[in-house]
Amino acid sequence: MAQSTIAAAFEVGYVRYLDETGKLLAPLPDDLQQPTPLVALYRALVRTRTFDAKAGALQRTGRLGTYASSLGQEAVSVGAASAMRPEDVLIPSFREHGAQLWRGASPTELFLYWGGDERGNSFANAPYDFPNCVPVGSHAPHAAGLALTMKLRKEPRAVVCIFGDGATSKGDVYEGMNFAGVWKLPVVFVVSNNQWAISVPLKQQTAAQTLAQKAIAAGIPGGQVDGNDVIAVRACAQAALARARNGDGPSVIEAVTYRLGDHTTADDASRYRADSEVSPHWQREPIRRLHQYLLAAGHWTKDDDDRLLREINAEIDLAAEAYLKTAPADPASVFDYTYAELPPDLLAQKLAALDELSAQTREAAE
Amino acid sequence: MSTFHLPDLGEGLQDAEIVAWHVAEGDHVVADEPLLAVETEKAVVEIPSPRSGYIKRLLGKPHERVKVGAPIVEFDDAPHADTGTVVGDLSVTRAAPALPAVAAVPRAAVRPSLRAEVSPAVRALARQRGVDLAAVVGTGPGGAISRADVERAVAAAQPAGEPVALRGMRRSMAVNMAKAHAEVVPATVWDEADVEPWWNEQTDVTGRLIRAVAAGCAAQPILNSWYDGKAMTLRTFAHIDLGVAVDLEGGLIVPVLRDVGNKPAAVVRGDLDKLKAAVRARSVPVADLLNPTMTLSNFGMIAGRQAALVVVPPQVAIVGTGKIARYAVPTSAGPAFRHKLPISITFDHRAVTGGEVSRFLKAMIDDLEKET
Amino acid sequence: MPETTMIQAINLALARAMSEDERVIVLGEDIGVDGGVFRATDGLFARFGPERVRDTPLAEAGIGGISIGLAAGGFKPVAEIQFTGFIYPLIDQIANHASRFRTRTRGRLLCPMVVRSPCGGGIHAPEHHSESPEAMFTNIPGLRVIVPSSPRRAYGLLLAAIRGSDPVVFMEPTRLYRGAREEMTDDGAALPVDRCFVLREGSDVTLVAWGAMVPEALATATEWDAKGVSAEVIDVATLKPLDAETIINSVKTTGRCIVVHEAPLTGGFGGEIAARVAEGAFTSLLAPVQRVAGYDTVMPLPRLEDIYLPNAARIGHAVERAMAYA
Repeated sequence: MAQSTIAAAFEVGYVRYLDETGKLLAPLPDDLQQPTPLVALYRALVRTRTFDAKAGALQRTGRLGTYASSLGQEAVSVGAASAMRPEDVLIPSFREHGAQLWRGASPTELFLYWGGDERGNSFANAPYDFPNCVPVGSHAPHAAGLALTMKLRKEPRAVVCIFGDGATSKGDVYEGMNFAGVWKLPVVFVVSNNQWAISVPLKQQTAAQTLAQKAIAAGIPGGQVDGNDVIAVRACAQAALARARNGDGPSVIEAVTYRLGDHTTADDASRYRADSEVSPHWQREPIRRLHQYLLAAGHWTKDDDDRLLREINAEIDLAAEAYLKTAPADPASVFDYTYAELPPDLLAQKLAALDELSAQTREAAE
Repeated sequence: MSTFHLPDLGEGLQDAEIVAWHVAEGDHVVADEPLLAVETEKAVVEIPSPRSGYIKRLLGKPHERVKVGAPIVEFDDAPHADTGTVVGDLSVTRAAPALPAVAAVPRAAVRPSLRAEVSPAVRALARQRGVDLAAVVGTGPGGAISRADVERAVAAAQPAGEPVALRGMRRSMAVNMAKAHAEVVPATVWDEADVEPWWNEQTDVTGRLIRAVAAGCAAQPILNSWYDGKAMTLRTFAHIDLGVAVDLEGGLIVPVLRDVGNKPAAVVRGDLDKLKAAVRARSVPVADLLNPTMTLSNFGMIAGRQAALVVVPPQVAIVGTGKIARYAVPTSAGPAFRHKLPISITFDHRAVTGGEVSRFLKAMIDDLEKET
Repeated sequence: MPETTMIQAINLALARAMSEDERVIVLGEDIGVDGGVFRATDGLFARFGPERVRDTPLAEAGIGGISIGLAAGGFKPVAEIQFTGFIYPLIDQIANHASRFRTRTRGRLLCPMVVRSPCGGGIHAPEHHSESPEAMFTNIPGLRVIVPSSPRRAYGLLLAAIRGSDPVVFMEPTRLYRGAREEMTDDGAALPVDRCFVLREGSDVTLVAWGAMVPEALATATEWDAKGVSAEVIDVATLKPLDAETIINSVKTTGRCIVVHEAPLTGGFGGEIAARVAEGAFTSLLAPVQRVAGYDTVMPLPRLEDIYLPNAARIGHAVERAMAYA
């Protein structure tokens, strides 16, 4: 038998502050000792879910395109975004509405995006944030590249890149983590592990025991957090961002959560996932547990609930109305952003397209 | 259960106000999923779904009060239609775009083409029809030349009138003249005879002409020959079988007077009259059209002075006589007026020389200038 | 006889291919338990089991590479790439490997794999779900590129693709999955994968199209028939290898050719067809060869999508321009 020593070993931690019932398991982080920031988090969670429900309702009535609900995953988005500074950059997948809303994207902008209008990616309040990334995981290397710009310019900024469990099977994701690790880039990869990649459950996605350990393969720290505990997610993200800004390199946070809704409004999860499996997860969902905590800690009353719900529903309803009132963009905009300057042959196409549109509108009226 | 009623909220509460719905009609929900938030005096309460299924109808709006036990949600028990996709809508049919009408857009200036626009097929057609595209006006898009434009050009190049196939004498003439042109190397000599001494309106000119041709042949027999261009042999005849061109409506006919050199003038004249009558009656025997050794064409009977006529092989000469006219002629006594007869002799220069023709001509002129 | 949709036809072809040849393996994301997000593989998991109907991890390049290994090792993989918007990682695997195995090894190793992927717009889908990248694949030697336009042709062409020994990219227009329906029988009859289909004979203009543009071309032909213009409609179906002869012969009769495709104009496959027509039917051309295609822009999001997609009206305007050349 050969002489054998341990070349490397790994362990992956799991972190939480609140359990499913909202009971505090460890002292709150310093900056959450006061109710105000906690309430802000709670408000953001409710706002995210209300937006989500409204988007679903609009889709069902034919007024929004296909929409990917974040039902049950709000704490991952809100937790990660709440740890970021305005000058940091968010590079999301397509289910981080809560992060986008926290960082200043208006609900109207998000309705526009999902309603099929490129102006929805304007992000007036977060001009450096990337728009949604649809080809799964292909944004991980972008995050590493953007983090590199910050390092080259010696800026105290960082990138937060969020993707799902399915994404961790993509080569792009490993390549992004590996670049970030070997070049020590200021990026935090957040794996929003909702256990499902459309119909493929996690155990069919990978043989790895955790997704956080894929970080260890890239030589960077990785840990798990209870993704339904917004306090925990926030704390982990803060720590990772501090590391990044200090020049200590990237991290991977695996936020363990659960996809309570369907993959999209066109999907019907009951085809591949028993409803009875889903129901118990409603006991673990993020809004309920923080609500319980706030009530128990005396920071929240029924009147607060009432006021918050009415306020947020009113805000979201108004945003939806504004979206519905927005006329489609000028057809010329299909062409105008293709190049820095419109080349002559593309200009000719644009004129032809507008002519064609006029002609068809006229002929349809006849 | 299809209809879900607002459950007992406890504490003797009779009703509650709907604060917000968390689900929409059409949504897929599971048991324990919160459907709506209602407000009682005590709290804002989340109402969980009693079952999994699909929401058919929400029976109440935000801010409405609902009684405990009143129906609030209808579930859809019908089998759920499979959308058959995870994005988009497979049932979209392509209607006309409902987009805002676009104002007219100014077009970039179009540089005019310097060449006529012609498609390959039209170019091929033009080549085939012999049409010069440079001269064609195009009526197609951008001035392009169409097939119809080419056909129009073809029609325009042709004179009006239906083409008629040649028959009979005209056909023969066409054939024979083409053949002559192909073989013979023609040259022509012109001169005039002073016929003042004997000519008047009633005189029989043809008789004198025939006598003069005989005189020419006597002086220069070589003009009364046949030339075989292939064998390059020359056959000079002793007798003169003279073809006399007769103009006839419908064409030209050349009956042949036999052996005019040896017959008296009156006989020749008689033969000629007989032939002319036969021609008019269209009953010239074929034999009388064959094998002239030489031809006389008195073309000037109507008009015309000189002519370069066509030598019909195997003959080597044709004598043409033009219209007799009165000319002013200088004499030692001052100008005089004399009637002249123009003579044109076209000969085949392969067989006959200019000198030979001149001598023939001189002999003709000498005979014609005799008083009788 | 009840009508079969294109997605049902594809499902039937896959089931038949799997039942007649045990080497056929179907793999892809969500194709097993869920039956495929478009239901192309519906029922196959229950019928043939998890060894032959394999839900894969989320990894398109991996799916491409694994298929190559399976194919070279004697199986016949039929891989589904969920949307052509996600097929681009496979260009490496297909261009550098799948399409070259036969020639590099002089026939010792083959790569009989089929990659199926939904393509095209018109279903109001989000970003990246309305792509038409077929032209990129036609430039790869050794690859067969097929785009069906009807249930029967999808059935017959897919069977031929699976039974053959060349690597195939088979792009299925999502708009036709349920939008195209016709009577057909599951008779196992394959269609040739090197031939265009003349769907409608005509003498004034040749309309050449594939995929979801074929119904648009047919609609145009019907509309213009009433105006006295006789249009011939050709479904290319197999873009590579291209049966240019059928198209050229048609243009020799009509003298006018219009190619229609959803993909952007520049570098689109319409250019190849136009070049072949210019080469083979030059002296017959009455009018310039036209292409009615997507613009050279990214496919707009649903609100502006209708501007982009060629439709019967736009094709009709091209017919008008062509017929102006008499």
